[in-house]
Amino acid sequence: MSLDYVKFTPGFGKFMPKEYRDMVEHGPFGKKTSVSQVGTFKEILEEHPMCAGCAMTLFIRLAIISFPNPEDTITVGTAGCGRLAISQAAIPFVYGNYGDQNGVASGLSRGLRLRFGDRPKDVVVMAGDGGTADIGFAQTLHSWFRKEKFTTIMLDNEVYGNTGGQESGMTNKNQVLKMAPLGKKFEKMDMLGMAKVAGCAYVATVVPNNPRRVESVIKKAVLIAREIGPTYIQAYTSCNIEYAIPTDKVMEDAKEVENDRYKFSEYITDEAKQYLGELYGYKEYLPKPAAAVAKS
Amino acid sequence: MYLVANIDQSICAATSCKLCTQYCPEANTIQYDNEAGKDKGFKYGAAYVAVDRCKGCAQCVWVCDNMAKHHAIKMEMIDQIGDAALTENITYHDKNTKAVLASPLKG
Repeated sequence: MSLDYVKFTPGFGKFMPKEYRDMVEHGPFGKKTSVSQVGTFKEILEEHPMCAGCAMTLFIRLAIISFPNPEDTITVGTAGCGRLAISQAAIPFVYGNYGDQNGVASGLSRGLRLRFGDRPKDVVVMAGDGGTADIGFAQTLHSWFRKEKFTTIMLDNEVYGNTGGQESGMTNKNQVLKMAPLGKKFEKMDMLGMAKVAGCAYVATVVPNNPRRVESVIKKAVLIAREIGPTYIQAYTSCNIEYAIPTDKVMEDAKEVENDRYKFSEYITDEAKQYLGELYGYKEYLPKPAAAVAKS
Repeated sequence: MYLVANIDQSICAATSCKLCTQYCPEANTIQYDNEAGKDKGFKYGAAYVAVDRCKGCAQCVWVCDNMAKHHAIKMEMIDQIGDAALTENITYHDKNTKAVLASPLKG
């Protein structure tokens, strides 16, 4: 949980794999790196077994690049595709049993605050739609009601992609899938509405076809979760296998879905706005000068 | 044999949009060399692919053709590419990477 845990003992460097040495010497730890600099530094996500062209992988990659302090971040996940990539990053990953990732993250977040006090240690839950909205629904909502200070990210591929294509609560109504041949009978769950009702300080929907926006949303969510309260990001990360999207059309699909039913939305409480403006220099959230108010 | 992405650096260096580096789902795969193309008068470098990490999804091709409209990336059979970047031949510098190009099959 610090920059030091990735460093190797002096003299052992030459025995380490090249990727590891590159990560220690040219990784993002302790530096301010951004999505626009990607390709010029060693990313902390390594090779992973997820499918070629998976939008979820792209989102996870962008999310990990966007963490404000990667050396002080712990990710929590659960069963599902996402954990295959999240666990291949050089930051600690805790694997919660299916559905209890928000419970695990609650304890972790509280423990880190007791142990490290004011030094920010970020806990980020990244789980699929099944882990967050179906099997982990109770623990997710309860962590929000308890105002646990960590970020929950739903990797919403609208299907149980890892187990052959069963419908999830986040699948759209009438959607036919391999293991839902008659089509889903119910509407997609409104997790955004529930997050707001349950008291999340920041709620956003995002699609990974806009990397800078993903970066901005992740940074805000993680920073707000340090002090203000729970934050929730719902990301559309299509499953190109179960929805039969050719890999070179994944971004085209993301663009269409974003324009159609997954428009970017952001909800932020006044307290969180003030916190971001005053502590982290988000000018858009600072009160406007009196002259500008009079003009408008 | 299988397809991997190959970037025409002479087209890429003329625009240097960096979009493909941001849209690749694989980490450390589309890398960026800030010095590439400077001998030809271009200022801002060009992207290249670490072909041993490329899974051949062609998302970068769609992004380059349709979003950037530069048409600099093509999918090519790995044995048809003369010289390419491999992870072991890439050196990281301060905010830059450099690759010594070699045959992807012989290394």
